[in-house]
Amino acid sequence: MFSEQAAPTAQGLLAPPTAEPPIFPRLAVAGYSDCSQPFQLGERSFSRQYAHIYAVRLATMRPGLEQRARGRWGNDIALRRLSELQEGEKCCVVGTLFKVMQLQPSILQEISEEHNLVPQPPLPKYIQPCDELMLEDELQRIKLEGAIDVQRLVTGTIVAVYGCEQDDGRFLVEDHCFADLPPPLPWSGPSSNRFVLLASGLGLGSVSGEALLSTQLLVDVVTGHLGAEGEQSCAAHITRVILAGNLLSQNTQSRDTINKAKYLTKKTQAASVEAVKMLDEILLQLCTSVPVDVMPGEFDPTNYTLPQQPLHRCMLPLASAYATLRLVTNPYQANLDGVRFLGTSGQNISDIFKYSSMDDYLEILEWTLLAGHISPTAPDTLGCYPFYKSDPFILTECPHVYFCGNAPHFQSKLLQGKEGQRVLLVTVPDFSATQTACLVNLRDLSCQPITFSSFGADSED
Amino acid sequence: MEQSRRITDSFPRRRRRGPGRPPGRLKDKKDKDKDKVQLKVKVRDCPRAPSQPPPDPALMEMLRRFDLSWEYGPCTGITRLQRWERAQELGLSPPGPIRDALLEHRDNPDVTY
Repeated sequence: MFSEQAAPTAQGLLAPPTAEPPIFPRLAVAGYSDCSQPFQLGERSFSRQYAHIYAVRLATMRPGLEQRARGRWGNDIALRRLSELQEGEKCCVVGTLFKVMQLQPSILQEISEEHNLVPQPPLPKYIQPCDELMLEDELQRIKLEGAIDVQRLVTGTIVAVYGCEQDDGRFLVEDHCFADLPPPLPWSGPSSNRFVLLASGLGLGSVSGEALLSTQLLVDVVTGHLGAEGEQSCAAHITRVILAGNLLSQNTQSRDTINKAKYLTKKTQAASVEAVKMLDEILLQLCTSVPVDVMPGEFDPTNYTLPQQPLHRCMLPLASAYATLRLVTNPYQANLDGVRFLGTSGQNISDIFKYSSMDDYLEILEWTLLAGHISPTAPDTLGCYPFYKSDPFILTECPHVYFCGNAPHFQSKLLQGKEGQRVLLVTVPDFSATQTACLVNLRDLSCQPITFSSFGADSED
Repeated sequence: MEQSRRITDSFPRRRRRGPGRPPGRLKDKKDKDKDKVQLKVKVRDCPRAPSQPPPDPALMEMLRRFDLSWEYGPCTGITRLQRWERAQELGLSPPGPIRDALLEHRDNPDVTY
């Protein structure tokens, strides 16, 4: 859409400037409300164990799953708990999955001195053919086998299985189902073209400065400093920019200073200090023109466990003077002009990628939506705050746009649900590697990538 | 500085210690009714008011049964009131008298679990 409107006016660049420069006012934000209160932690107490979050997850999702099971396998199926199972009886059980993986990094194995093992290096995938699936409910657990894809599923998913118990104590699964798409939200999107720019993985502070030019080009296009009048008028339709994590690069996480002696590291500054200054200047340029939502990511200076709390505004003194800068949590949920956005910086998807045979980030994103939970592997393999009262990662309403940041490449898909849900799934690529950002059109939920490569043949899509 | 301060002013002598007590407790527990309450207790923030009537053993038994019932989820690390309210929100219908008892004895630290 950009290039169609922009190309005819490109000749305007070769003409002398007009007496009255045209002004393109940016479309004002019609409605914005932040819905990520469940992800904001007030007081933090780590004196609890993680059993609470699993218990709450199961108790909250059980009624929905029982309803789905009845709808799928008949109203008169027997819903049993594991303690009430009888051998040979066909019944349905709702529980939490646990995948027994040999290669799963275990702290106990690492510090075990008897084995004298070198700690396992991080692998891209930890799955193995001999992994097993167990189903756990409040009291017992049972091994699952049968029509269930062990490699594909991950720990922490709430699932309903239909089958019967064998005489050797295993449960033979004939069919299984997940929570499926949550109930839809009413649609009140805009009637004219309005765009939201999604970018992630700016990777500031990295050793190579290749992405800096592309980042500057991105900022210039959004603020209207680049291009002819056609491009500027298109950029005026961008109502918001969401930066989905990893604003700092992985290089800023220098671990050497921890291991080196104090006298060697006395005068050195943490690499993240320079990177945050650069981020502040970039955000300043953006905030003077467009509202920006900044989500923290894996390498950003905030807490490690999900949900990540917003970056502190003292780190961004220049940019936080503007009210257009919003520092938000990861995961982030908000209503923009009547369209519900929900997204993460990608840690949940990449964690599922490591422990499942699914390779495609878009497939994993769709699967989390169908499983009804943003990150089922938390707290098993992904750090998570020990919630006790409610699990905020359970999807209770179906968002209109569901995105994840820091994916290897850009992908998008419009998913249609049975109850009329329409979800746009977007995997936002890592900007420092691909120099690509995404433009989501709020009117018709379409998405197009926009690439800022320096030496490429086509610079804009 | 007062002259005649003794160590037993700040750390009263305790004659009886239950089997499950952790050794070396620094928190000051003024006149706790140890003979009434033999449950395993953790270090608490709010000391019990000195003029508290001792809790009813039948009440403690009811609270203990509430703790051990598996339907309401794990009981460690949260107060009984928090657990009751969580069970209520999840629709598990915990018994009402428990909540009344918990609110009645709000300043009794044995209500915390």
